[in-house]
Amino acid sequence: MTIETAAALLSTWATETSQPEPERLDAVVPREKLLAAVQTLVDARWGYLAAITGLDLGVEAGLFEVLYHFCSEAAVTTLRVPVPRDDAWVPSVYAIIPSVSFYERELMEMFGINAAGTPNTDRLFLPDDWPAGVYPLRKDFQMEDAGADHAS
Amino acid sequence: MPAKGEKFIIPIGPQHPALKEPGHFEFSVDGEMVTSASLRLGYVHRGIEKGTEGRNWVQALYLLERICGICSHVHATAYCLGVERLAGVEAPPRAQAIRSLVGELERIHSHLLWLGVAAHEAGFDMLFMHSWRDREVVMNLLEGFTGNRVNYSANVLGGVKCDIDARQTDAIVKGLEYLEDRTHHYLEVVTSDIMFLRRTRGIGVMTKDVAEKLGVVGPTARASGVARDVRVNAPYAAYDRYPVKLITATAGDLEARFIVRVQELFETYRVIRAILADLPEGELTVRMPRRIKEGETISRVEAPRGELFYFIKSNGSDTAERVKVRTPTLPNMASVLTLAVGHQLADMPMILTGIDPCFSCNDRMIVVRDEAGQASAWTWDDLRQYGIETYR
Repeated sequence: MTIETAAALLSTWATETSQPEPERLDAVVPREKLLAAVQTLVDARWGYLAAITGLDLGVEAGLFEVLYHFCSEAAVTTLRVPVPRDDAWVPSVYAIIPSVSFYERELMEMFGINAAGTPNTDRLFLPDDWPAGVYPLRKDFQMEDAGADHAS
Repeated sequence: MPAKGEKFIIPIGPQHPALKEPGHFEFSVDGEMVTSASLRLGYVHRGIEKGTEGRNWVQALYLLERICGICSHVHATAYCLGVERLAGVEAPPRAQAIRSLVGELERIHSHLLWLGVAAHEAGFDMLFMHSWRDREVVMNLLEGFTGNRVNYSANVLGGVKCDIDARQTDAIVKGLEYLEDRTHHYLEVVTSDIMFLRRTRGIGVMTKDVAEKLGVVGPTARASGVARDVRVNAPYAAYDRYPVKLITATAGDLEARFIVRVQELFETYRVIRAILADLPEGELTVRMPRRIKEGETISRVEAPRGELFYFIKSNGSDTAERVKVRTPTLPNMASVLTLAVGHQLADMPMILTGIDPCFSCNDRMIVVRDEAGQASAWTWDDLRQYGIETYR
């Protein structure tokens, strides 16, 4: 499937689309529309969800971005979901793509962005004694916040 | 024996010195049948993604190459190709060919290593010894070529550091002759040994539909008939110059995963010969800027275990803003948890090994009785032995 097909499929849900590289489509999707957008791609069998990337745009910008990368052969479509830092959640896509569990668990523990409704919220990568509310891939993370055991 | 209806949870993990990396599984069983499975990772999580944010573009390369001790080269290749694209620089054709060459040599060593581990889990230790003995041939070639057995550091930003001469070419050609001969033998063994086939044929079946739904990658996907190989779908480095033929199977069981990986070796030998026969002349590197232009890119390469996915963002400085890495084991591991359900406990070692997990299992395996709290301990070796005896 091509990125043109993806652009057509996502036109209802995306507020903005761009083509940063020849085989890439970026579509900004508000989080309220995320599930509908994912369902549309899955129903059309447009590729597979290859990864979820969390991005911290910084305390000043007050925003995270959650990127859902779908790959279909050479083409990559990325759904970009802006998420306010002070209200950090996205809807879980587990009901549509059950294999997303690992990606959502990683996003939650590394960025503190809650995947609302995902069934398994256990830690996947961080230690059991890692302090609550400390998210290492946030830009304002300080090693000292992790406590003496992890800071060395 | 448990009372009827009582649930057993079998935790496996996280440490096992014989296998590559630690992980912790919990299998719930009803008698012999696995009814659910869960996974805890992170025992070797080293914070490498975060680590790249405090280092410059060159330093991050050496850090990322150490994510995996088996397929280190693909990490460096994915990263270099991505950063070069952001910088608007293209490595010279000879460098790209050498990247593909080392990538394919790495695939040989990884597949032979896997064949040995998988054979061992099935109790077929002669096959394990043979494949690891033969793997030394390609390890020596890699060491002779790059100077290292693992973490070859063949890549630099803007090209590669090592060139190949006539003597090394001869050594590789000769090594491949031996390995190709041995690979014919392996293909025969994994498709004809009756004892071995009892552990693989019809076990862990994943249909094409399920494989597509789970988003599995690499040989695990191809053994279920999913035509997914980044080298074919989106050629990188020099794969457009030396095209790779897609190897798939349709059965989707463990046997198919063996066949696909072993047959892939023949294709790898062919591609290496094609590269050596037609290696472009020229420079090995181009100049890279210290600061990388602002932007984002996605770089995908085909690791021995499947698609390796890099997302790289630059803020215009000499340090990465964000490097996101998704290794092929993560999507493939989801398939293990799905496939485990409905299989016998004795099949777990083989189903897990079937995806070639870049990470592994465990020293302690404790059988916990849910309510009564009566517990007895098993080692991974016990489980392996249990599997072997079940099929004896």
